Amino acid sequence: MTELLKVENLRTYFETERGTVKSVDGISFEVRKGEIFGLVGESGSGKSITGFSLIGLLDANGKVQPGSSIKLAGREIVGLPDQELRRIRGREIAMVFQDPMMTLNPVLKIVDQIAMAIRAHEKASDQEVRRRAVEALARVRIVEPEKKIDQYPHQFSGGMRQRVAIAIALLHKPKLVIADEPTTALDVSVQADILKEMKALVAELGVSMIWISHDLATVSQISQRIAVMRRGEIVETGTVAEVLGQPQHPYTQGLLDALPSRARPGELLASATTESSGPIVLDDLAKTAPKAADGAFVQVDDVDMVFERAVGRVGRFTQKFGIGQPSHAVHAVKGAKLTIAQGEVLGLVGESGSGKSTLGRIICGIYTPTAGNVTVGGRKVREGQRKLGTGVQMIFQDPYASLDPRRTIFQSVADGPLAHGLTTRRDARAYVNRWLKAVAFDPALADRYPHQFSGGQRQRIAIARALAMQPELIVCDEPVASLDVSIQAQVINLLIELRRTLNLTLLFISHDLSVVRHLCDRVVVMHHGKIVEEANVAQLFEAPQQPYTKMLLDAVPKLAV
Amino acid sequence: MGDADMSDVIIKDNFESAPPASAWRDFWRVFFRNKVATIALGVVLVIVLVAIFAPFITPQDPYDLRSLVLRDARRPPGFVGANGMHYLLGTDSQGRDLLSAIIYGLRISLEMGLIAGAVAFTIGAIVGCFAAYAGGRFETFIMRLVDVQLSFPAILLAFVVAALLGQGKGQLILALVFAQYAYFVRTAHGAASAERQKDYVQAALSIPMSGWFVITRHILPNSLPPLIVVATVQVAAAISLEATLSFLGVGLPPTEPSLGMLISNGFQYLLSGRYWISIYPGVALIILIMAINLVGDQVRDQLNPRLRK
Repeated sequence: MTELLKVENLRTYFETERGTVKSVDGISFEVRKGEIFGLVGESGSGKSITGFSLIGLLDANGKVQPGSSIKLAGREIVGLPDQELRRIRGREIAMVFQDPMMTLNPVLKIVDQIAMAIRAHEKASDQEVRRRAVEALARVRIVEPEKKIDQYPHQFSGGMRQRVAIAIALLHKPKLVIADEPTTALDVSVQADILKEMKALVAELGVSMIWISHDLATVSQISQRIAVMRRGEIVETGTVAEVLGQPQHPYTQGLLDALPSRARPGELLASATTESSGPIVLDDLAKTAPKAADGAFVQVDDVDMVFERAVGRVGRFTQKFGIGQPSHAVHAVKGAKLTIAQGEVLGLVGESGSGKSTLGRIICGIYTPTAGNVTVGGRKVREGQRKLGTGVQMIFQDPYASLDPRRTIFQSVADGPLAHGLTTRRDARAYVNRWLKAVAFDPALADRYPHQFSGGQRQRIAIARALAMQPELIVCDEPVASLDVSIQAQVINLLIELRRTLNLTLLFISHDLSVVRHLCDRVVVMHHGKIVEEANVAQLFEAPQQPYTKMLLDAVPKLAV
Repeated sequence: MGDADMSDVIIKDNFESAPPASAWRDFWRVFFRNKVATIALGVVLVIVLVAIFAPFITPQDPYDLRSLVLRDARRPPGFVGANGMHYLLGTDSQGRDLLSAIIYGLRISLEMGLIAGAVAFTIGAIVGCFAAYAGGRFETFIMRLVDVQLSFPAILLAFVVAALLGQGKGQLILALVFAQYAYFVRTAHGAASAERQKDYVQAALSIPMSGWFVITRHILPNSLPPLIVVATVQVAAAISLEATLSFLGVGLPPTEPSLGMLISNGFQYLLSGRYWISIYPGVALIILIMAINLVGDQVRDQLNPRLRK
């Protein structure tokens, strides 16, 4: 195979107010014809900036440094005038972005967006454009393309939108497609389809592709060769089998060890056994832990949740006379029934829109269910936000959003216990410090603000905030979904340790089956608002009963080594 | 390769280094990079200082009628009076030193603008945040009220209120606040509605914290940046509004000569060649408002995340 793209000593620096940021610092690699080349790394590793550098789409303060070389089919493209670059962009190098919501213009019909892409490089009549648009959509397996081209992006699902974005990227039969986390925003089942189709398309059209992702499993499935990036440099490169099978660099090894799918369920993950911010100190907190007891500690009975679209008075009036749209109710949760025993970790699994987060928020008392009720320890979770008891606490997905940027760590953790009399103003320091130590967070840093900490540290603060309320149940809503793998491993380890000593009762909501398998005792699977299957972890993963569960398990990308 | 080696590699990646310098210091560092805004800020500070220490700076106390020499009325800039007084900017129709009058006028204008701005800010921030937090009918009622008010020109509202209440400092401040609080409510409501949806507010409510706590400790502090921007603009607007009202004769009483009244006093002499009585107070007003607006522009650029580089 001959090489199509040869990158040598690529350096991309950004001038910022804090000085020069060396996002990409001297990387070299080549992509062969017809090959899918995987570029893996955690956030901030420079993998996306590499992609943007190749296509010349850097922000104004970013610059490919002199001495860098990017050769596309033997032609140097560093230093080409903008006009030349524009000719290459879309025609010879095309790009697919992560979020299909953002890349398609919501006010333009699909056919018009495709027309713009076609006419950027050549003249075409309206008929010609339509014909090619239909062809392009058919190529990415969109059914009824003749009808679909006249629709708007909002009428498409996430997976279909990403297919359209891919179709547009392939319009001019480019030599190279750069796909930046193209399946990250999609559900696993959709991701599995797109991975398969992309592979087939690349083979069919003979294009080359750079697949940028943080997810080792998907990259290992789709690409032939990969490069692992870290802090602007490539630490290791080779075939999938070489790099992931016998990693040479400790960083690659660490990334692999951090994957819960490679560890025995319930065990601490290898990569994070030494914590830089200190050990988990639980003091005598374990004494306060409740004894494990059988039976239903948390009971959810026939919970229904219907979200009515707010139509307002005018809407109701027009409906009455049949001229408005009928009211549009979303039945998010249908007759959900589940129990959690004291000291148990229950996994709640489902794809986006399955109603799992809604159910979590109902159990937490943030939403009041339309029907049915929830009891914790025999007492009803009271209705309405303000009257809610302190017995159920919640940990949110995004640690960047769930801490008030203008309150110190101490304040954030102390607010709740102070308001509910769990501690006094005089003892608050000691009280908060105990819980911060329990999540391996240095209490000396408690007077700083959230923006000074990384995602993993913030998520541990959020966990401390929940623990400090001494809850009977903690609802964790995708607590590790937005974290890099190695940070994810640290948070998972923390949860395992806390759970062991404090005998916590957890409801763990997640779309990531490998994390659920690692952490939970029992799993409940939700689909379209209904609970479809409930089983012990081992049972569910080894012998799923329902077709939906089977499909979900099959769709999970596995490390192909 | 040993275990320690491995974990070291990963941990270094995931923990950000020591926190950056404080946001406050950063703010001023960026601010001072804009030369025009820095000069404008200097001008505002000088004017404020001059206004505060007016009695010690001005060559004459314009309120002290004994010090006025009627013979020296309407003298041009640079005139040296009978008692040896040097009138740098000339005198007005009562023989008052114009420079002293302008400095005292600035003092009153600034006082009016700042007090009215502060009161409107407070009312607006509280009402706006409460409306956003409470939602439902309360929110609808308040916001529609504000919408109705915003559909009238501020000058018209202020004029009506000032005319109804009569002359006086307190009355004028009331009129200015009435004309301007709606802008603050709008801004506070917009910012607070956005904050209301965020996870950290949900987190606080799920603890649960009381509504009052959530508003005062979470929503309000996080809604401040846009309010501060509006405040700078509105203080400048309040000063010009006050000058307008005083010029039209419904503002301050003659015993409290603000810039607007000075301009109005000199107005009748403008065509007789005695331009200085009106022009110099006008220039002072323009410099003040422009300087405040330039500072406000820079603050807005810095606090608006969309314009951030």
